[in-house]
Amino acid sequence: MKGNQNCSGKYVYCIIKCPEDKKSFGNIGFGGEEVYTQEYRDFAPVISDAPMKEYEINEIEIETHRKVVEKIMEEYSVIPVSYGMIFKNKKLLSISMKAGYKAMKKAMKTIENKAELGIKVILPKGATELNGQMEQLKSDFIDSLDEIAVDTKQLKIFSDRLLLNASFLVDMNKIEDFSDQVSQFVVKYDTLKIQYSGPWPPYNFVDIHILGKKQRGFR
Amino acid sequence: MFIFDDILLRSIGFSFPGLDLLWVFEQMRDFAYKEMHDQIKDKIKENRMLYELGEMTSVEYFKMNNILTRQLKLAERAKSMNIGQKTDLLGNEA
Repeated sequence: MKGNQNCSGKYVYCIIKCPEDKKSFGNIGFGGEEVYTQEYRDFAPVISDAPMKEYEINEIEIETHRKVVEKIMEEYSVIPVSYGMIFKNKKLLSISMKAGYKAMKKAMKTIENKAELGIKVILPKGATELNGQMEQLKSDFIDSLDEIAVDTKQLKIFSDRLLLNASFLVDMNKIEDFSDQVSQFVVKYDTLKIQYSGPWPPYNFVDIHILGKKQRGFR
Repeated sequence: MFIFDDILLRSIGFSFPGLDLLWVFEQMRDFAYKEMHDQIKDKIKENRMLYELGEMTSVEYFKMNNILTRQLKLAERAKSMNIGQKTDLLGNEA
């Protein structure tokens, strides 16, 4: 942990399209602080007052960040912001909003009324391979889910047991169709473990870098 | 302040065999740090996946997660130490 912890900063959870200033989402932020909007043109970062510090990987704090974004997602399409993004004051946050405004507008067009859904296909414990059916399985999943989704991202295979790791950007009104398709796969590939998760904020489909890495701008 | 560093010297054709070897070692070290960092991150994700699949108890999961998080912090600290970074005497980064 670095910096002066007594100094209160503005922690950013996500960005929404909402021209309303100080719209409150309740005391659900870090340390039970109020989560509210700070108006910037037609967008608003969703923030809470929080200590200026380096937010390290901490399960409880990540969970707080996640829950706040989930709550906002119930009402708005969100541009997700990386965990740990804090600004010294409102003015610095406004400067960043100004710098990223165009990129945010573009990102919002991509993700409005959509959510991210995740699929992981996993080998059962003890199994070592898939008897050469790997490519067929991949195209089976990706091709048919791709038809329902707006966009697809294949993600890193971080475990030897992981056969497929992909995220799909899906229209809110097509989530049910998508889930039905996944259910069919669960039946078809009953020897494999299929982990289906979401809806998530579209983390894998928005990538806005506003300030340099050293300045810890949002991403 | 303008500084002649090894990359600049190399670009204008100067080469010192000893320094070249050192440079190669620096590149290898940086690559190793990145590899180590990525591997730990993958293990954290795998640990979470196994927990979500019900193949680990919460006690096992949190125990392993604490170990891996500590390792990741150490790897990040090693990466941010920038041992090979050149700094001029007036305090400007090269």
